[in-house]
Amino acid sequence: MLLSVEDFGIEFHDHDKPERVVEGVSFTLDKGEILGIVGESGSGKSMTALAIAGLLPRKKLKKEGRILFEGEDVLTMERHKLRTLQGDEICMIFQEPMTALNPTMKIGTQVEEALRIHHTQMNDAARKERAIKWLENVELDDPERVYESYPHQLSGGMRQRVMIAAAMVGGPQLLIADEATTALDVTVQAQIIKLLQKINKESAVAILFISHDLSLIRQISHNVLVMQNGHLVEKGAVDDIFDHPKQEYTKKLISAIPKVEL
Amino acid sequence: MLLTLLAVSFIVFAAFEIIPGDAAVSRLGSNATKETVEALRVQMGLDKPFIVRYLNWLSGFVKGDFGTSISYNLPVSSMILEKLPITVTLTILSMIMTIGISIPLSLLIAKYAGSKFDRISYGTNQFVMAVPSFFLGIMMSWFFGMVLKLFRPGGYISYKKDFGGFLGYLILPAIAIAIPKCAMSIKLLRSAILTEAGKDYVRTAYSRGLSTMEVLYRHVLKNAMIPLITFWGMAVADMIAGSIVIEQVFNIPGLGRILLTSIANRDYPVVEAVIILIAFVVLIMNLVVDILYRVVDPRLRKD
Ligand SMILES: Nc1ncnc2c1ncn2[C@@H]1O[C@H](COP(=O)(O)OP(=O)(O)O)[C@@H](O)[C@H]1O
Ligand SMILES: [Mg+2]
Repeated sequence: MLLSVEDFGIEFHDHDKPERVVEGVSFTLDKGEILGIVGESGSGKSMTALAIAGLLPRKKLKKEGRILFEGEDVLTMERHKLRTLQGDEICMIFQEPMTALNPTMKIGTQVEEALRIHHTQMNDAARKERAIKWLENVELDDPERVYESYPHQLSGGMRQRVMIAAAMVGGPQLLIADEATTALDVTVQAQIIKLLQKINKESAVAILFISHDLSLIRQISHNVLVMQNGHLVEKGAVDDIFDHPKQEYTKKLISAIPKVEL
Repeated sequence: MLLTLLAVSFIVFAAFEIIPGDAAVSRLGSNATKETVEALRVQMGLDKPFIVRYLNWLSGFVKGDFGTSISYNLPVSSMILEKLPITVTLTILSMIMTIGISIPLSLLIAKYAGSKFDRISYGTNQFVMAVPSFFLGIMMSWFFGMVLKLFRPGGYISYKKDFGGFLGYLILPAIAIAIPKCAMSIKLLRSAILTEAGKDYVRTAYSRGLSTMEVLYRHVLKNAMIPLITFWGMAVADMIAGSIVIEQVFNIPGLGRILLTSIANRDYPVVEAVIILIAFVVLIMNLVVDILYRVVDPRLRKD
């Protein structure tokens, strides 16, 4: 078992009264597993993902429960310890590929960054070689040219591939993809899903795939969590969830999928 | 650009027509006889109509002949060439201080945004920004010169004699120039850093395991400096123009000083040349700012 989330909750204290946005969420994730989290907007998917990646704001927020990554709690871990995991063992890609990359830094530098931080013994040439290899792995044409480019010179789909390369370059155990295909058009979406599946097979990286889109979740996940209003309403293997949903909420979500897409 | 310079030169020339005073009188002193003054005016060409004199001067200027100083009887170009390094060095020193101090301080303040430290520095900053350089200069030269006796006011050392001593003398005036600019830079930079720090790419940088300081230095700073480029470009132009005042306070014989004396002496060839030089610097700084934008922000480069 790679990740174990136990009775996790978040309460915001940045307004007049405390707001519970996640409560009592428990699940586990095995090495190499693709776990989908589905739920409508505002159900607490991103907050859960950010907590696992150690990216929740540090102020005005109460965290409950435990998030054990290889047995160690990322919620209570010291920051410098957490930083050794971030980018090396746990990586994350986000919804907006247009803004998730630094506009004034070359793609190559950004892809290599995790290596520069975590694999300090590597020299420049070895780092570049690894970065180029990953730009190739994410199926970008002309990786040498992409390496020298800036984000604005690439399309949204290309940038999301770059984000995946930058996340994978350190050889992580867990890749968190929060709505990573939502901002892309349908054909590019399908390509990215295929790419994530390929990477999952080849690198044995576990993927936490978050989306509000059930058909994508069904396509990619081994297991699925359904979230609603900060609670986990149902979890199970993908076929069980889609073929025999137990909860009313899950049934409602499934019946709302447009038939043509299935 | 040329048109701007032409307009500036014409306005300066016209201003001399309007303000009272006469170069010949100022050279000969007020008890010179009418006849000698008239003779000198003819010799200097001051008897010719305004437009003729302007065109004469302009044609010389275009040919690279900046004319001869009326009061010193020296070629204007060599006078300016001698003074220029002083003001330029002072400006460079002030700029280095402004940028060199404001960047690390703004990063530090931004890192502790919202804390007591942030509030205290905000208050100090608002206050410092409002203090004019010349006042700072007077206070500093009084404090360091009269009280601590670390520095001899008026003890300017020529850069030709002792460059180290020259730089040493310029440090206090440079600080006086830099402090208000620095305060303004910090204010602008702090808010630019905080704006940038809320952007998505910063979260990406954190997700790779960078520390806050690394995120600020490696990712945020360059983006946050983009809006500062214009301010810093204007600051350079402003420092050169502002040398008129600060050179007076610290008794530095630079461009600002020569401009003041020349205005007093109605020495229009010198005044023209210095003002055109300042206008030229402003225009050049605009160009430099444009180029810097392209260097820092790849989105503005044409591929
Ligand atoms: N700073 C905050 N203060 C209070 N509530 C917040 C804050 N940030 C997010 N939330 C709330 O947390 C809930 C969960 O958000 P999120 O995890 O982003 O949902 P999802 O990713 O499933 O769409 C939302 O209802 C949102 O309004
Ligand atoms: Mg979300």
